[in-house]
Amino acid sequence: MRHTVSRWPAVISLVLALVAPVAARTRPRYGGTLRIETRSDPLAPPDGIARRLLFDTLTQVNDRGEVLPALASSWESQGANHRWQFHVRGGVHFHDGRPLTAEAVVQSLAAACNHCAWHVRAVGDSVIVTSDSPMPGLPAELARSAYAITRRDENGNPDGTGPFRSAANSNGILFLSANDDSWQGRPFVDAIEIYTNRSVREQWLDFSIGKADLVEVPPEFLRQAQQERLPLAVSAYPSDLLALTISDQHVRDEHLRESMALAPDRAALFNVIFQKQGEITASLLPDELSGYAFLFPGAANLARSRELRGGQSIPLRLIVERSGSALQLVAERLALNLRDAGWNVRVVPQTGNSDAELALRMVHVEASDAASALRELMANFGAASRDDGSDPSALYRIERTFLQSHTVVPLLYLPRAWGVSGRVRNLALSPDGTPLLANVSLEDAK
Amino acid sequence: MKIPGYNSPQRMTFPNWLLSWTLALFCISSAHALNDWDSASADLARQIAALSGPGTITLVISNRSSVANDDVPAIRRALERELRSAGVVVRQKDADSEVRVTLSQNMQGWLWVAEVQEGSETKVTMLPLPGATVSGTTTSAPAIALQANLLHAQSEPILDVAVLGSAAEQHMIVLDPQHIRSYTLQGGSWQPAQSYDIPAARPFPRDVRGRIVPAADHLFDAYLPGLVCTAARPGESWTMNITCIDSDDPWPLGSQKAFYNAGRDFFTGVVLPGFGPRLSPFYSAAELAGRSSTAFLFADVNAQVHILEGSSHRLVVGARDWGSDIAAARSQCGSGTQVLASAAGWPATDSLRAYEISGREATPVSAPLSFDGTITALWPASNAASVIAVVRKPQGLRYEAYSVTVACSH
Repeated sequence: MRHTVSRWPAVISLVLALVAPVAARTRPRYGGTLRIETRSDPLAPPDGIARRLLFDTLTQVNDRGEVLPALASSWESQGANHRWQFHVRGGVHFHDGRPLTAEAVVQSLAAACNHCAWHVRAVGDSVIVTSDSPMPGLPAELARSAYAITRRDENGNPDGTGPFRSAANSNGILFLSANDDSWQGRPFVDAIEIYTNRSVREQWLDFSIGKADLVEVPPEFLRQAQQERLPLAVSAYPSDLLALTISDQHVRDEHLRESMALAPDRAALFNVIFQKQGEITASLLPDELSGYAFLFPGAANLARSRELRGGQSIPLRLIVERSGSALQLVAERLALNLRDAGWNVRVVPQTGNSDAELALRMVHVEASDAASALRELMANFGAASRDDGSDPSALYRIERTFLQSHTVVPLLYLPRAWGVSGRVRNLALSPDGTPLLANVSLEDAK
Repeated sequence: MKIPGYNSPQRMTFPNWLLSWTLALFCISSAHALNDWDSASADLARQIAALSGPGTITLVISNRSSVANDDVPAIRRALERELRSAGVVVRQKDADSEVRVTLSQNMQGWLWVAEVQEGSETKVTMLPLPGATVSGTTTSAPAIALQANLLHAQSEPILDVAVLGSAAEQHMIVLDPQHIRSYTLQGGSWQPAQSYDIPAARPFPRDVRGRIVPAADHLFDAYLPGLVCTAARPGESWTMNITCIDSDDPWPLGSQKAFYNAGRDFFTGVVLPGFGPRLSPFYSAAELAGRSSTAFLFADVNAQVHILEGSSHRLVVGARDWGSDIAAARSQCGSGTQVLASAAGWPATDSLRAYEISGREATPVSAPLSFDGTITALWPASNAASVIAVVRKPQGLRYEAYSVTVACSH
């Protein structure tokens, strides 16, 4: 696929140069339709591109990790963070016209959080969240799209309060229209069309001929796109964690897992496959969030790996949990590294009920504060963690303890990037790389 | 130029001491950062000593943060001093423990990490420190210079700021989409005085704009999309009585009043008393006095700048670099009135530049005054001798309101 795609950046550059606007207007103009193409389901949690357009959360987190009001206009904690009271913003309506109430928020949070350790109830215009253990990070936690406030409409579909409402979903195209009554103000564009299940090649082709305004740029193509000076929007920090997981059900001996964890040559993956995009990591949290990632050494140590392996050579299967040629290459390289350490590894296709010893996983980190991100990541890897606040030393201890089990081997953090057409104005990405489309306007809107 | 209902009845001044005070504050904050290293070093030294216990250590410091490398020796000296006072002596080699201190950072600020290694065991302690953000504006120009004086900053969008009152008793009014807040100048700093919640029946547009216009018979009017708020003062008190009503009344723009499209955030082109034919919709306007007749410039929604003077209506030449926001400021330089325009395009750092208008031609007369963000509002100040520029800074979504004046270079 790489060769197929590689010619397109040059073509796109030329097209954009020809259509580059010369107007001096700097205020946004209302109107127009934004066209987006993606490979994935735009409604799939946690990071589907349409979720933030249709649904709002009680809080939001900015690019400095500060928690800001959203559907909750304010909040306060009592009882040493065991009890939180969120005041629901007045005058907000769901897309079907029903008002946002504390009861609706409670139902939504309860449905989103079957296994949460907290209890939620409505009191007047407030939502009360209580827990047996303190929850200092709850306001930041509730900014995640997993806790988006939704309710079922007449047809049983989730309805939200977001800046866009769902107009139709047919033939792989999700049609969204501007919500004139959005509590944050009507978006600038009238409509968004999201074309789903489009390969990268198809996306870039459409981009090059002006049929798409926003297309995905996978990390393995990012360097090429930068060299070709394509207009890009890149996430503030790498937010996709590529990790090797080792099943402790299959490999019960901790030393054997450590042996496997010491084998990967992260630098080779970083330099060769991903063209030095993102960052090498041996920690769960990206360094931009934690500031202490350097405390986790990531260099391969084959001698120590062999020593820990001893005489063991159980056959290992490695599956790739997401399709894509780059990830397949990563899996092959990891298998090579493990073989160098004496392990007998083969990459096998993932089937419906694959239960392999090793898996290559790509995990997206949505939360943009360190404590929430760590809980999100650990939950993704099937581990629970307490909300112990945001003290870096405490987070480091939690992370170190978790990684010492050697069930998860962080490899790389990869950025999210989008190709952006010349007619798109004021596109910003959330810290995790999700396009914030409500503030986007189109240069040629009439 | 005297515009009924527009100029403040009392002359508003921006004394030089206020600018000096701002600069002094900046210097003080820089010095404060250096002093903070001592305090932070003391805190980290205590944490290290708690892990290592009294004895000897080797100390290696590495900097992977935005702390200036020039500051590292000072940090090292402070650390060694504080460690000594805690009974820990730093040696070059042959010590009980090895200590590696890394000056790191994350999204919240700086993070100092100390690794204390004793044999094969490594203990870690961390010290989070609030990160410093240093911002500023640059001013340089051969003949005319623009000077920016920071008036106010907040995380909520600022729509307009007005400084009212006398030199002896100044009050600052800040308009944002949800509040009208007043501040009183006390001891050289603005202290919050009063806050009024704006009752909006409908959500404002996403790029909401608003304007404070001082009034002759009451304090001021605040114009927002579809809403006008009137502030009165009972007697001599500065306690404001504010009432807001839904209103489509035109917004004052110099001697004209312009109707505003509350759903799309631009002026419709209908102005009173007007110039005869209806104008095209526009974002901003500037009125130029001191010519043979008062000229009215406006930046339309199609990125063209027009000038209306007498019966003539022409496009301005030389305004290609202008953005959507323009405002006029009176000065002692040149023709006495300059047009300040934001920059075209969508750079991360916006700028303002002063222009003289001769006939239909715009000539730049100052260097661009750069801001670390995007200009989101530009209105003439109530004294007409300066403009209020609101800048949205991308870092942490902070809004800053500046008073920008035109200064002559002698």
